[in-house]
Amino acid sequence: MARRAVILAGGQCKWGVREAHLVDLFQEAAKACFDDIPTLKPKDVDGLIVATSYAGRCSFQVNTAPVIAERLGLKPTSICTRCDTLCAGGSTGIILAKGLVEAGMADIVMVAGGEKLYTPQKWEVFYSELASVDHDWDGAQGMGLPPPFFALTAKEHMKHYGTKKEDLAAVSVTNYNYAVDNPVAQMQKALTLEEAMSAPEVVPPLTLYDCCPITDGAAACIITTDEIAKNLTDRPLVYIRGVAQVCLNSVTANFPGEHLADWKHLRVAAEKAYKAAKVSPSDIKVAQTHDCFSISEVIEVEELGFCKKGEGGSFCSSGQIRIGGKVPINTDGGLLACGHPFGATGIRQAIEIMKQLQGRARHQVKDADIGLTHNLSGANAEHTILIYGREPVK
Amino acid sequence: MAILGIPILENLYPVTMDMWPVQAKEFNRIWQFYENLKQGRFTTTKCKNCGKVAYPPRVVCPDCYSENLEYIDLPTKGKVIIFSEEVRGVPLGFESPLIHAVIDLGVEPVRRLLSRIVNCPAGYLKEGDEVQLCVFPVPSHPIEKGKQGTIMVDRVFFAFEPVKKP
Repeated sequence: MARRAVILAGGQCKWGVREAHLVDLFQEAAKACFDDIPTLKPKDVDGLIVATSYAGRCSFQVNTAPVIAERLGLKPTSICTRCDTLCAGGSTGIILAKGLVEAGMADIVMVAGGEKLYTPQKWEVFYSELASVDHDWDGAQGMGLPPPFFALTAKEHMKHYGTKKEDLAAVSVTNYNYAVDNPVAQMQKALTLEEAMSAPEVVPPLTLYDCCPITDGAAACIITTDEIAKNLTDRPLVYIRGVAQVCLNSVTANFPGEHLADWKHLRVAAEKAYKAAKVSPSDIKVAQTHDCFSISEVIEVEELGFCKKGEGGSFCSSGQIRIGGKVPINTDGGLLACGHPFGATGIRQAIEIMKQLQGRARHQVKDADIGLTHNLSGANAEHTILIYGREPVK
Repeated sequence: MAILGIPILENLYPVTMDMWPVQAKEFNRIWQFYENLKQGRFTTTKCKNCGKVAYPPRVVCPDCYSENLEYIDLPTKGKVIIFSEEVRGVPLGFESPLIHAVIDLGVEPVRRLLSRIVNCPAGYLKEGDEVQLCVFPVPSHPIEKGKQGTIMVDRVFFAFEPVKKP
């Protein structure tokens, strides 16, 4: 019988401004992950994929996989490597782990992602962000920190589709309020529309709560086959049904859409992932979309097919992303409130979707059987989608 | 130049922390782009084999993989499609206001070039405004040249500025 990948368990450490080293954060996350599956021991794990992008810059550490393996007490024999797709690193690790376990090249893989971004002086991380985009072309134009790029994106969406600042604020309010009771989120603040609308300016039209914070943190999950998982847990199995990762450009001048609010590369990724998972947008009961900025979620709900193009603002502000809405999104708080330690984010998203599909999420979506995670990375250079389900693809 | 806290780096220039491109011939095969900038020319590469014009410049054509490329001039004037202005919290290395614009230079592949707008106060720029290329010097960096010792190389970079002076 074909080997089919499932996400077995996962956990994360407390995210925020952490008094800890990068390797400390990874250890905390791995412990939380094993705590989630007491029948699994570190010696059972035969593969490790580490997702971190800023270890080189902020922790002066490259070749992180052996370093992390040793700290976690793992002795991988199938794979021990690192991947770097910035904001999508964790999701990339899960995609690779799925491929490896389904191909029979690994049995039980830990995917662990993390970043220590707060350096002793804050300027270093801001300055190092020049490496997050194409350094010589967009970095040197001052595009390293993403708010200007997403401010341009928001202005284009407002210009072409009439989206209002209130629509953006509605995303922030929804996601912040999902995280009020999330003990590992960076922000646990009940946010009102009035507060969001009157928040300090970052780059207009973006204000404070439109932007995800800078975050230290790590997360880890276990990817294995359904047959192995059945021997380790009584929880419902959560299959990775279909995935896609699409890159059509890197330099912003070559952005593939008609304008910055037209995300052709996300449409391509969505079409491919839905096809692989044999589902359609209307089957998605719960989703984690990459809300690095409020405007991102507005555009993502459109390009993922949850609403028509141009209607993302009203979709979000009319409560369709809340519990009881058409597609509850970022039900643990998303990037806006949980924070965004780049390599860890895709794993956090996967853990929340796993819990939703197992019926043990904090803000549970009723009868959730199909869930989706999405990341964008770089200066909107790449889109990554994973679709999870209670049943395998048949 | 002292690096506080890292005494062994005193008088050394950590180029790996440099915010500007390393442009010297010894380290970058598209050095001609930067040499052209010094002449006020905004250029990129065109494939002499298949005709593909790529931006940024390449050493291999991304369409046909030919290495037979030539530099061609791109327009140096264009129109602002959309722009953003950051006044507070501008990142290290850039001055307030940090203005970015998507600019239409009128020809492919630079119909939607994203550039910094300089020599422009906050609140001055409007959509549709005409902007032009602005080339400026950026700090030199050292290169070890064997028996010649360490030499400093001059560098430039570019942005756009309003045609109509504020």
